[in-house]
This record gives sequence, C-alpha cells and structure tokens, in this order.
Amino acid sequence: MSGTLIDFCKQLEPTQLNLPAALLQAAKDGVEFQHHFPTTRDEAWKYTRLGRVAALKLSPVKINQSAAPLPSSDSIDIIFENGTWYCAEPPAGLHIDFSSDLDSTAWNACTIQGHVQHINALTAQGGVAIRIDANTKLIKPIRIIHRLQGEHTGLILHHQLVLGNHASAQLEVFFEGTSEDSYANVLFDFFIGPGADLHTDMVQHTKGTHYGFHTQRIYQQKDSTFALQTLTANTHFTRNEIEVFSQEEGTHTQLYGAFIGRETNHIDNHTYVHHMAPNCTSDENYKGVLSDKATGVFNGKVKVYQDAQKINAYQSNKNILLSDQATINAKPELEIYADDVKCSHGSTTGQLDQQALFFLRARGISEAKATDMLIKGFMAEIVGAVKSSHIQEALHTLLD
Amino acid sequence: MLKITDLHVSINGTEILKGLTLEIKAGEVHAIMGPNGAGKSTLASVLAGKEDYEVTSGTITFEGQDLLEMSIEERAREGVFLAFQYPVEIPGVSNVNFLKTAINEIREHKGLPALSAKDFLTLVKEKSALVALDASLASRAVNEGFSGGEKKRNEIFQMAMLEPKLAVLDETDSGLDIDALRIVAGGVNALKSKENATLVITHYQRLLDYIIPDFVHVLYDGKIVKTGGKELALELEEKGYDWIKTAE
Repeated sequence: MSGTLIDFCKQLEPTQLNLPAALLQAAKDGVEFQHHFPTTRDEAWKYTRLGRVAALKLSPVKINQSAAPLPSSDSIDIIFENGTWYCAEPPAGLHIDFSSDLDSTAWNACTIQGHVQHINALTAQGGVAIRIDANTKLIKPIRIIHRLQGEHTGLILHHQLVLGNHASAQLEVFFEGTSEDSYANVLFDFFIGPGADLHTDMVQHTKGTHYGFHTQRIYQQKDSTFALQTLTANTHFTRNEIEVFSQEEGTHTQLYGAFIGRETNHIDNHTYVHHMAPNCTSDENYKGVLSDKATGVFNGKVKVYQDAQKINAYQSNKNILLSDQATINAKPELEIYADDVKCSHGSTTGQLDQQALFFLRARGISEAKATDMLIKGFMAEIVGAVKSSHIQEALHTLLD
Repeated sequence: MLKITDLHVSINGTEILKGLTLEIKAGEVHAIMGPNGAGKSTLASVLAGKEDYEVTSGTITFEGQDLLEMSIEERAREGVFLAFQYPVEIPGVSNVNFLKTAINEIREHKGLPALSAKDFLTLVKEKSALVALDASLASRAVNEGFSGGEKKRNEIFQMAMLEPKLAVLDETDSGLDIDALRIVAGGVNALKSKENATLVITHYQRLLDYIIPDFVHVLYDGKIVKTGGKELALELEEKGYDWIKTAE
C-alpha cells in the first residue's frame, strides 16, 4: 500500500501509544492534518513549503525489535534501521522500553501544537521510552541512531525520556542514512525532573531527498538544566521544532544550533521557549552557513509569562551566505508580560569576512582552506558546546 | 630581490601610486616614510596582493618572477610577508592552528614534508620568546581580545615562524608604547640576515632608532621623491614633510 502523505497517515493504525484521551482528541481536531496542509499563508510555515511533502508517495516501514542485543560499546546504543530497532543492555538506573510503556502521567503536562505534532500524535508507529531513576548519574552517553534507507519510506516515531530527580545524563541523537523521497517525523518529549541535568547533542545528516521533521518538547521542573545542540549538515529538507516549557523556578536552558546548507537544501529551525516561572535563564545561539541556492529559516521565540520575574533570556542568530542565491529568513521574537526581566535577541546575516580571508591568504593559506578555516571558526562556539568528542570529530569532517 | 619599476596603482579610479620605482637587495633594510595619503599603505597592500587595488602600469619582480601574476597565497609561499597595520581578529580560529596550516602550506609549496607536532611546538616556544609573546596567546583565537601591542607582537611572531625573504612592515610602530616598540624592533632585528630583506613603512622616525635602515625613501604623492641614508629620517623628523614639498 502506498499513497500520499495524507493517505499514508490514514492507512496507519491509530497510534498504539497510550496518549491521554484529551491529547488525542486535540490532535484529531487539528485542522491542519484533517483538511489541509499548512501553506505559506500560515505564519509558522511562511518560508517552508510543504507541497512536495504532501505529494510524497509513501509506504510505512515495519516496526519491530531485533532479538539480537547490541554489543556493548562506549555508549548505550539504540539503533533504528528503518523500523527495526536494536538496543544495548541498559545499566542500573536506566530503563529502555518500547513505547507502549510510555509514562502517561508525564504526558498530562503535554500540549500538541501544529501540523508536525498532530501527524505524530495520531499516527506514531512507536518509539522508545527511556527512564532514568532519581539520583542516577549515567556515565556512558545514550546514543540513538535513526538510519532510514530506501525509496518512499516513511517513519513516524514518538520517543520519551523521563529524567528523575537529580539524575543526570548525556544523550546523542543521530539522523542518517541515504533515502529518496522519504519522510520521517520523529518527536521527543523530554521530562526533566527537579534538579536533573540532560545534555543532548543531535546530528542531522541524512543523504538523498529525505524530508525530515524533528520535534523536541522539553518540560523542565525546578532547578533543572537542559542543553541541546542541534547540528544540521547538508540535508535536503529539515524542519526542526523545539519547544521548551520552563515550568518551575531555577531552570537553565541552552539551545544551540549550527546548520550548513548547500545546493537546494532547505533547513528550517523553529524554537519556542516558554518562561512560565521566575528566576530562570535561557541561552540560545544559532549559526548558519548557506551556499549555492540553499535556504535557511531561523524563527526563535521567547515568551516570558506574567509573574515570571527575574528571567535572563539571551538569543542570538548569525548567518553567513556564501553565494548570491542563498537565502536566510530570520525572525527573532520576544513576547514579555513580566516587568523585571533581562532579555536580548539579535540576528545578523553577512558574507565571509574578506579582511580575514585576505589575512589568512597573505600567510600562505589557499583560498579554499582559508574559507574552510573561517567557517569552522564561525561555528566554533556551537561545535565547542558539543560534549561528545566522537561528534566533534565527525563535525570537523562534515564541515570540510 | 624586489624590483618595482614605474608602478601606477589606482583604487576606485583614483590614482594613488604614480610611477614608483624601488629596488631592494638581499640583506638590506629600507624605510619608506611619507605624509598621510602619500600611498605608503597602498604599496604594502599591492605587494601582498590585495585585490581592491588596480595596477594600471609598471612591473614588480620578486626573485626574478613577476609578482603581480601571483595569487595572494603564492606570494606568501614565495617569501613575501606583510605585517599588517591593523591585524585582523578571527574568532574561533586558534593562533597555533592557523600558523601550523600556514607553515605546512608553505613547506608543501617548497616540496618539504609537514612539520611534526613536536617540532612545531618547539618552534612556537622559541619564536614566541623572541617577541615576549605569552605562550597562552599562541593558543588563543587569532588576535581576539589581544591588546594593540599584543597584536603587533603577534605579527612579528608570525613573521618569525614563517621566515620570509622579504618582510614588509606596514606602520608596525603605530599604537605601540616605547617598551612594545623595543620588543617588536628587537624581534625584527633578530630575524635579519644576509639572505632576507626588510621594508619598513612608517610615519615617524621613532621606529628607525631601533631598526636601523640602510636606505630611507620619502614617498610623496605616489612617487619616491627623495632617497638617502638613515640621516634622512632625522632630517625629516626635524623639518617635517613640508620641507620635501617645498623642495620639490
């Protein structure tokens, strides 16, 4: 069976995830999915066209768990090869289950917003539920690899990670593989308990005409820390939606992103930080480098709710365009309802620093290598925030 | 080593250099002095290959080769070094990493193998001591957060690392206090040999107390109007540039 994305969604079994009934109903009511795909007249999709995506002919991949456990490595691995997933033996304090064991109480806090999330809520084929017990400090990082292959393949996953009180963990997420006219909609819900700390590095590096939709919703409780580095390199089509709910006092959130596009790549980053409680900080820094006819979107929104005083929210977006035909659409947004906050935002777009290029060449470095050094230098503060040395090395290769 | 003949250079249609002729031989130190707007920095930029300038006529040969035919990086690899008047800050690119790349590109050009990490570090240690550059500055991003004096010392440090045949110092004394000036000049003097040459471009005689030139040229309105020994610099300091203008 195959059909367009809408047909594809309709033919899928209703999601087996035990979503709260109210959420399911909200998703069903989502007009975007029921009646039409959003168009560029919808503010959230102003710079990203979904025509091609809506017309994709898709067949869902089959979800099943491989009996063979993964050998142990320097990380705790979970690998999706199309729909087949493999999992390493988790250490004490860590629980990895298939999605039927998702924690539904945590979900009562969730909201579902927009087209991508509606499709996911109604039709997610599965996902992993990761629970980390209170006070557990994981030493090895958890590594989730999604590798989609083939033509017209479709994969919709809903993962959940619940971090107990004062637990800490490091997560690495990869999207890779080579596929044509394929679709992925992968959503993560992160529940960060009081005093807990999660550091996530995400690498998106799919090859071929793959359409990747990635959602991360983060719910932060008192005094918790959440850091996410999103690195997108030369993907055909990527839409990232990150929504942070700082629900209680004393949270710190860091959202960093680096995106590199070439040819006709389209990379869209939407972020939304909700400061719902006082005495919290957030730090957002996105950098993009686009060449050829690539297009990029940065839409970063920070909302400070009434009574969420003493918020310190910082947001920056900087882009370099290496060709006349590359495009960036940047929209930093601030919405503030409290009166004692420090918020800043800014966005700049320019070309490579010609003075710096001349300087490097005047020391004997070729133009190509000098350009490469300047781009790496530009991205250094984002790449430097990545904890995994494994990813750092991979990035240096990707940036070449 | 360097031979400039009847050089005419324009920027955005305005002629800056109007028939400049200059010859520098190995082992020599030349100074070019002149008032603001005479074309001193234009000369430095043209030698390094900056693309904003248009050479309308004249020739420049370096070691018998046509310098104007070479790209910016080729000139550097052949041994032309420009110490910048305003060194550029490059966030995210470490000084050491940048120099290692530069040295190895130059070595590759000369058909030499890349320097080992150990040999490179030994060289960094030795050469940074020459200009009293703190080792921690060597590992920081290029010129980022450096003081004016540190930036200029970093230029001479790079020069020491790259061992050019011809060093062009563009207003290296500007913005330096007397101690930094001594250190910078000391570095330049230590690098002097029979095989290389130095072209010092400066506004003031002050630097020439420390780097003693064999020849002093006065650049005025795009041409060298007077050439003499080191005493010419003192004369200029005393009488000012008006003296040249009226003498013309």
